[in-house]
Amino acid sequence: MSERVRIRFKRQGPMRYLGHLDMMRYFQKAVLKAGLDVKYTEGYHPHQIMAFAYPLAVGMETYGDYADIEFNTVNDPEEIVKKLNGVMREGTYATGAVLLPEKALNAMAAVEAADYEVIYDIPGCSCEEVKEASKRAVETLLSSESVTAGKSGKNIREGILFADVSFTEGENRLILKLLSGSKLNARPADVFNAFAEAFGERKAVSRLIRRLEIYGKNEQGELVPLGSEGVL
Amino acid sequence: MRFEDRKTALPDEVLMRVDKPSRYTGGEPGSVMKDDKDIRCRFVMCFPDVYEIGMSHLGIQILYGLLNSYEDVWCERLYSPWTDLDKIMREEKLPLFSLESGRPVKEADFLGITLQYEMCYTNILQVLDLSGIPFYSKDRTDDDPIVIGGGPCVYNPEPIAAFFDMFYIGEGEVVYRRLIDLYEKCRDEGVSRQDFLHEAAKVPGIYVPSMYDVSYDENGRFKSMTPLFDDVPARIRKQLVKDLDSSFYPLYPVVPFIRATQDRAVIEVQRGCIRGCRFCQAGQIYKPIRERSVDTLEYQAREILKNTGYEELSLSSLSTSDHTGLKRLLEYLIGYCDEKKINISLPSLRIDAFSLDVMDKVQDVKKNSLTFAPEAGSQRMRNVINKGLTVQDILGGSEMAFKGGWNKVKLYFMLGLPFEEDEDCRAIAELCNEIAKVYFDTVPKEERHGSVQITASSSFFVPKPFTAFQWARMNRPEEFEEKAKLTKRAVREQLNQKRISYHYHDSGTTIIEGIFARGDRKVAPAIVYAYEHGALFDAWTETFSYENWIKAFNETGVDYEDYIFRLRDDNEPFPWDFIDCGVNRQYLLNEWHRAAEAAVTPNCRDKCAGCGAASYGCGICVEKR
Repeated sequence: MSERVRIRFKRQGPMRYLGHLDMMRYFQKAVLKAGLDVKYTEGYHPHQIMAFAYPLAVGMETYGDYADIEFNTVNDPEEIVKKLNGVMREGTYATGAVLLPEKALNAMAAVEAADYEVIYDIPGCSCEEVKEASKRAVETLLSSESVTAGKSGKNIREGILFADVSFTEGENRLILKLLSGSKLNARPADVFNAFAEAFGERKAVSRLIRRLEIYGKNEQGELVPLGSEGVL
Repeated sequence: MRFEDRKTALPDEVLMRVDKPSRYTGGEPGSVMKDDKDIRCRFVMCFPDVYEIGMSHLGIQILYGLLNSYEDVWCERLYSPWTDLDKIMREEKLPLFSLESGRPVKEADFLGITLQYEMCYTNILQVLDLSGIPFYSKDRTDDDPIVIGGGPCVYNPEPIAAFFDMFYIGEGEVVYRRLIDLYEKCRDEGVSRQDFLHEAAKVPGIYVPSMYDVSYDENGRFKSMTPLFDDVPARIRKQLVKDLDSSFYPLYPVVPFIRATQDRAVIEVQRGCIRGCRFCQAGQIYKPIRERSVDTLEYQAREILKNTGYEELSLSSLSTSDHTGLKRLLEYLIGYCDEKKINISLPSLRIDAFSLDVMDKVQDVKKNSLTFAPEAGSQRMRNVINKGLTVQDILGGSEMAFKGGWNKVKLYFMLGLPFEEDEDCRAIAELCNEIAKVYFDTVPKEERHGSVQITASSSFFVPKPFTAFQWARMNRPEEFEEKAKLTKRAVREQLNQKRISYHYHDSGTTIIEGIFARGDRKVAPAIVYAYEHGALFDAWTETFSYENWIKAFNETGVDYEDYIFRLRDDNEPFPWDFIDCGVNRQYLLNEWHRAAEAAVTPNCRDKCAGCGAASYGCGICVEKR
């Protein structure tokens, strides 16, 4: 018997330069340090049963990522959050946990979409110019029929569910909701590049990409955060 | 300060351009942040190689923990930027920084550099260069940190003496507190850099090269070294920890985010070695052997595993099989680790019934290979080097292992040893063949899982200071190549040759290592020349250029052949004679003569050879034998 817990976490600061495998190793160590009753695989090389919803790219921050971890027994998922945060101080923190129903999809299979913000500058531009140019660029992006992904050359226009710009606290943000999954996977860096292209001569430069939330689907087919009740 | 609020020293656009940016961002679990207003001394501790290598080193973890346990000291880490970042830092004029604070190295009070192998010497210059610190100690001012070296290479620091303000001879746990107190006092009183160095030269174990004058004979060979002042000692005594149980050991080591070369919890079971192998420097300079008690080791293993979350534990020492409590320790650790699903990574144990039983318990069904280090092929040569391993040990151990289900054997040899003949090289091949034969003789056909695989590799021998072979002539590159080819041919002539694979190391690095090992102060300009002509990361085959080095010696007028290709006279003074590491020159000379007769000297536990280390009054020297 075991119970699967979906842990929501954020990552910020210099830890964002870790690759996906290093993040997994970090979590494995945190689980042991926290003294959690984690479940191991059988066999000669037992390892913790742990699955991440969506690998974080090197350089990316997150406010809402998820990892599923199996435990032998769970009293209160919130206790796991507390214990993990008692040993994690490097820039990654657990922000919530839910016990998953047995039929729940594994974290990776459940992912349907994700929200992002890309913080960017346009070197040598005044505030007002940036605002005007940004609004035009996001309109151009949304009205174009083809947005090409850098590596695969695929058209990912269909994968852009939402795009807008905002200007607060002296930072320029491109806000995105993008489809993710095996059929069509829109990466924020590719979408940002297309947005930057739309500026024409003065290019926008990305400073930070941050994931805000990851979504799955509920039975009605609506997008819901991966850690909410009713997610498939 | 919260870890996530730390600014990285390098801007994002640089970090996103380099391989493994986490090498340069710090903030790992176990790393220590302090506030400037609480500290009086900022100590940057450098391992002059890439992060993954440096982070694997136990000595740095010990010193980092120890220095940070002092309230007034902040010890930070520094590793060599890999070639990609090196290039960017030069182009964009970015100053080298320490990992914790991200601040320039040049602003630190001390820059400590550990010298674990000779081939890191150009990396020292890279660190100084990128930090904006002059290469030569004599050119530094109050704006520069005190550059201090430590580690095994300081047992002949002379080739790099000009780059250092001081060296620490011995184990770091002993006099760092005293040295830092002296530094803080001198700074408060406005004492000049020069006068501080003079005072530091009186601290036991601290060698300040600028306080000594070196003279050479008519052939330009080292003759003598004399202190420039009456109050500076003529001999420097190695500092050593007498009791390991009460000495500092890091229970909260820094755990790297990215995978380091040695990425596991480590307990240090003992220091020193009882075996007087005549080629081995570590065996002499860390004498006498001091064990850590099993109780302490069990406690430390539990604590470190709990504090780090590591899933693997390893045991560190020069020869773990010689620990008198090993059986009890391993029984405990196997039980504890099995319950916690933790792997034990075994050191190379002497192969016998006990160690095979232990390996059987900790290894999975796909049995890893078994390792022997006979170092030489013939019994005569093993006696010459005083390696107390007999052919019966090797063949008997192999037989037991084969019966236990192992079928891979790894063997380590050296070529170019003193008194070596062609037949000794051929004996390497014959020994490999014998081992294969044992397999076919003892394992019935139906019980064989795949066939036996024997992997032999040989490195070329480098004579090191403070060994019986410090008088020896080193082989020339052609001789090395010839011996390696002879060995290879001999392997091909064996009956079981298909089961044996043989590799040998590059001879180019060996030659350069030999020059640094026994060179003197005249070598320094050649190191600067080589560095300025592109030498860096010389320990890495992809970055090492032999031609560049030979050119450097020629251009700077360094007669490098004289340091290595010459049999030294029994009475020839050595540049490292001023160091007193306990083991005295007369004992080493006796051992050199005994090597010529292929006479074996018993190990410390069997019989005291009177090496001189007993003057420390600790470890095996005062225990009941």
